[in-house]
Parts: sequence; C-alpha cells; structure tokens
Amino acid sequence: MAAVVILVALLGTTHPAAAQPAGDLPAVLVSRQAAEALSLSVGSVVQVAPPDGAAARDFRVAGIYEPTPDPSRLGNAIYAVRLHLPDVLALTSPPDAPKGAESVDAINIRLAPGVDALAFSRDVNARLPGLAARPTTDAGAAAGPFRVLERFHLAIAIVTIIASTVFLVALTVMLVDERRETVGVLRLIGLPTSRVLVQVLIEGALVAGAGSVFGLALSLVSEGLINRFFQWRYDTALLFVHVTPSVALTCVLIAIPLGVSATVIASWLLLRRNALRLARR
Amino acid sequence: MRALRFAWRSLVRQPARAFLGVLGVAAVGALLFDMLMLSDGLIVSMRDMLERTGFDIRITASGDLRRMGDRMHHTDATLATIRQLPHVGTVLAVRFVAAEAAPPEDTIATNAPEPGMVALTLEGVQGDARPWTVLSGRDPAGDREVVVSRALADAVRVTTGSELVVRARCTSPDQVLPPARLHVVGIAEFPFELVGDPTAGGAMAVLDTACAGRSDESDIILASALAEVDATAAAIRAARPDVNVATNEQVIGRLQRNGFTYFRQISSVLTVVTLAFALLLITVLLTVSVNQRLGEIAALRALGFSRRRVVADVLCESVLIVGLGGLVSLPLGAVLARGLDAILKTMPGIPGQMYFFVLEPSTLGLHATLLAVTAIAAALYPMQIVARLPIAATLRNEVLS
Repeated sequence: MAAVVILVALLGTTHPAAAQPAGDLPAVLVSRQAAEALSLSVGSVVQVAPPDGAAARDFRVAGIYEPTPDPSRLGNAIYAVRLHLPDVLALTSPPDAPKGAESVDAINIRLAPGVDALAFSRDVNARLPGLAARPTTDAGAAAGPFRVLERFHLAIAIVTIIASTVFLVALTVMLVDERRETVGVLRLIGLPTSRVLVQVLIEGALVAGAGSVFGLALSLVSEGLINRFFQWRYDTALLFVHVTPSVALTCVLIAIPLGVSATVIASWLLLRRNALRLARR
Repeated sequence: MRALRFAWRSLVRQPARAFLGVLGVAAVGALLFDMLMLSDGLIVSMRDMLERTGFDIRITASGDLRRMGDRMHHTDATLATIRQLPHVGTVLAVRFVAAEAAPPEDTIATNAPEPGMVALTLEGVQGDARPWTVLSGRDPAGDREVVVSRALADAVRVTTGSELVVRARCTSPDQVLPPARLHVVGIAEFPFELVGDPTAGGAMAVLDTACAGRSDESDIILASALAEVDATAAAIRAARPDVNVATNEQVIGRLQRNGFTYFRQISSVLTVVTLAFALLLITVLLTVSVNQRLGEIAALRALGFSRRRVVADVLCESVLIVGLGGLVSLPLGAVLARGLDAILKTMPGIPGQMYFFVLEPSTLGLHATLLAVTAIAAALYPMQIVARLPIAATLRNEVLS
C-alpha cells in the first residue's frame, strides 16, 4: 500500500543502539520542525507511538520534509511524522481488532485529466452511501477564515484608496493652482479650454502611469521583504504576500483612472475661471 | 499663540486645500486608530470574557482550546479531587457535543450540516455553578431540560416551554443517533457561544440522554480560587499531574504567543504603513504650500518677523492639519471599527461576545502621540526651507518673475 498519511504522534528520543538493525526498520519522514527540535537526521532511529503513548515502535528516519504550509496552524510548529498507512494501522488498531476493521479518515483521489471532479464525487456519493465525497476545490468550510480575512483586507484596501484619493485631489488642486498663470497665458494666446484639458489629461496619465510602475516596483520589493520576515517570524514556508498579475493589473486599473480623474477635475475647476483672472497675478 | 492664529488664517485662506488635507489625515488617522485598537483588542476582550465568567483556573486534557483537544476521562473523580483541595471555590465540568435540530419547515438554515437542519452545540455541565446567565425562564434541572441561547431560539423558533428535538453526534461527525426530545425552560446568555454555532445548555445528564449513554468525560473543568490563584493552580497540578492546569493569565499569555499573533502583526504593519503614508503626504502638502508662499514669507521676514516665528507658523500649520484631522478620525475610526469588526466576527470559531477592536484609554494616548510625532516630522522639511530662505534674493526673484 503506497498511501502515506500524517500522524501527529509522540516522538521518542533517538536510541542508536536499537535491538533491530536500523536498516530493517520501517521508514518515516519527519517534519523539519520536529527534526530540529529533536536533533534528528536521516538515518536516526525514533520511537513513534499513538497519543496515549502505548505500543511505541521503532522507525528509521528516511527523510526530513518541509510541511505543506497551513495558514490555520500559523504560529504553531508542526511536529509531525509521515508513515506508510500499514504502519499507522499497526500502531493505532487494537491488537484484537479483526482483520479488515481498520478505518481511515480520508482517501485522496487524483483523477485522470479531463474528468469532472464534481460528477465523479456525485457518482461516489450515489454508489457508496455513508461516505461523503467532494472535490478539493469545494473545501468551503476549511477556507472560511481566509475568506473572512480576504473581506477584511478588501475593506482595509478600500479605506486606504479613499484616503489616497483625498490626498491626491488635495495635491492636484495645489499643483494645478501653482500653474494658474501658465494656464491663463495659454488661454490668452488662443488655446481653447479643451486643448488645455487634453494636455492636462495626457500629463495626468503619464504621471499616474509612472506612479503605478513605481508602486508596483515597490510592492515587488516589499513582497520579498515581508515574506522573508514573516516566514522567519512564524517558521513557515507560507507566502504572506503574493503580487499576482491580476493583483498588479487591478492596482494599475484603479491607480491610473484615479490619478487622471483627480488631475482633470482639479484642472477643470481652474479652467472654468476667466482667462484674464487666471493670468492676473 | 500668535503663530497658531496666523497658521489658522493661512489655512482658512485656502479652504479647499485645508479641507482636503484635514480629510486625508482623518481617513489615515481613522485607519491608524483602528489598527491600534486591533493590536490588543482580542486579548483585552478575551481577558474581559474570562474574568466575567467568575472562574480563575481552566483544566483541560491537553491545554488546547475547547473542542480542539482531547477529552478528560473520569470527570467525577477529578471533580472530587479538586473539591478536596484547600482554597478551591466553585468547580464546574463542561462537555460540548455537536448536534443538530430541525427548524420550522418554512425556515432555511445557512449553516445546516444537512438540508433543513440547524447545527448547534449541546453544553452539559456538572458542578457547583452554571456558565450561562439566564435571561428569561429558569435554570434547567433533570435530564431533559435545557436553556437555549437567543441565537438558537431564533434559528429554530423555540421559546420557554417549547420542545427542542436534537440529534447529537457524540463520538464522530457521522454518528447517527435517535432524536432526543428536550424541554426548553429558559433563554440564556452563553459567554463563549460561537458565531454561527448556537448553544443549548443543561445538566451533564442531558448529554447522556442525547448521546443515549452515560459518559464520564468532560472537555474542560473550571475552578475558582478562594486564595492566591497561582498557588491554587499549582495545588491542582500537583493533585492531578495528568491534566493541563492554566490560570486565566496563562491562557491569555498562550493566546498572545500563538493564537492572536496574526492580528497583532497585521496591526503593526498597517500602523507603520499608515504613519509613513501620512508623513509623506503631509510633508508634500506643506512643502508645496510653503513653496507657493515663498515670496510672502520673505516679505514677512523683511517686515521683521523672526526666523523662529515663520518656522513656528509652518509647524503650527502642520499641527492644525494633523490635529483637526486627528479629532475627526476618532468618530470616523469608531464607525470603521464597527464595520471591520462585523466582517471579522463572521470568522468561524469566534465567540459572539468577543471583539476585535477594543478602545482603551492607552489607545487614545498612543494615537495622539503618534499623530503629534507625525505632525512634527512632516513639518521638518518645509520648516528647513523657511528657515534657510534668503530674504533679498527671494524678494528680487518675486519682483522679476
């Protein structure tokens, strides 16, 4: 049986002078955190037992693995060993349990390419009453806390965008006001309002585009720094910040229209005034 | 004082600009205020909840939070041992069992494990006190009487005197037991009731009825100390070394280290980001504003205003923008905190009476201090421009331009 399961079990100390040669012992994989905590290396011999501590058995450490990052266990070191399923059953089943009475928590199935996971799970549910099959993409309950956090982050982002917009408008109002005389002269030498507005529009788009590029570059740099810090802080391989192309695109799609709109609105407020008033000092 | 009045006049001369500046600081300040409330909000809220229950010591099998760890066996013997110890007041064993109840036919439950069913927690207690507060009706007695939370009463539309039919899942989530018919004798408030997981509570015998069998197990034992809490906890630990004994302070400490670190970290990161954002933008606002008024400032200097005085004007302008924005940010932050709290409260496993954003007097002080530091730091560069302004050259340029 090639299936491998995770058993959070009691790990005993190493004892190299085991009665059985280490090479003949069943193999286990040990999580990096457990290996560090117990000073284990490949080839070490460990005792593994169910949580009640009974029926401990010797195992040979065949490898050390990095646990799959699990956000729900953030802050907790993952002390785990991976055993072959028959070894787990031998450890956990009562000695008098009849053959075939063993149970497992879950069976993971990889489907052939093109097979509809939902249809397959429906088929399993219909054929095997008492079992619950569902596609891995439908892990709604497990994802609950992260969906809530996603909504929380979205709310924070909206507040940040509102604050940025207010400041942006304040800045553009000041910058446009600073060029009041120039705009007045342009109007006096015959440039229509629409022509000046087009110029402002292009200028705003250029500035917003440059700002977006700078912002993206900053986010890419900070992505690495933030991930490194939190991975160190929580001793995990989890990615905390990930700037995906869609996130980058969303940012650009918000930033450029926002920047251009702020510039045009501030300029329009100025251009509505009389050209002579604009040019007058 | 004169500088402050002068700065105020400078601001009101450009009302749109000043309004936008204050509004921007208010928005950033509101976010900062919320992040400061979030940083310790859960801990403060949890401490408050633990203290309100009236128990000082929590005894579990593995030290995990409820329902995540193993159950304790031999509850009767453990309770008897703890009661015999000196300085132990009330002792209460609690067991939680997942169950489901059928709501009225016209109700569709969103948290139903099966179509048409409402998931709930049955809380069985054994000991000298009750972990709930009866709001209406009376305390349950016997093996079929329960009090229900307001949330459960609303979800399955029961009230005092109603019958509550539940199916418990005592040993595994897939267990199918015959339905148990319980009598609702009151509506109660359960301090640790989770959002989306309404609760019914009764004697431990109620759980035995629902589970169709007697069980001498409990998830948690709560004890109050008549003397020093740590010494009482140590005595319990010595009497029962096989269980995990923690005082409220130790539970809080554990949560501070592991449970709520994410919110503290995100709060720290966003506090730094919002402060940096505010600093940058106020600096830009003031710098542009000062650059536009260089001629005016040089004229004032020529008229006899001292260097210190014009520098103080700029500082006062910054203080006014940040101060007014900071004042507006408090009610704005309170409203925002309510919204964000409502979002976070939908997270599974969070007690309904717990709050993520908690206002403490120290939060207000820290908020004011951080904004004051930001105001001063933001004014440094424009103050330097004003202080080094060459009067004659600036006036000459002004005339020539």
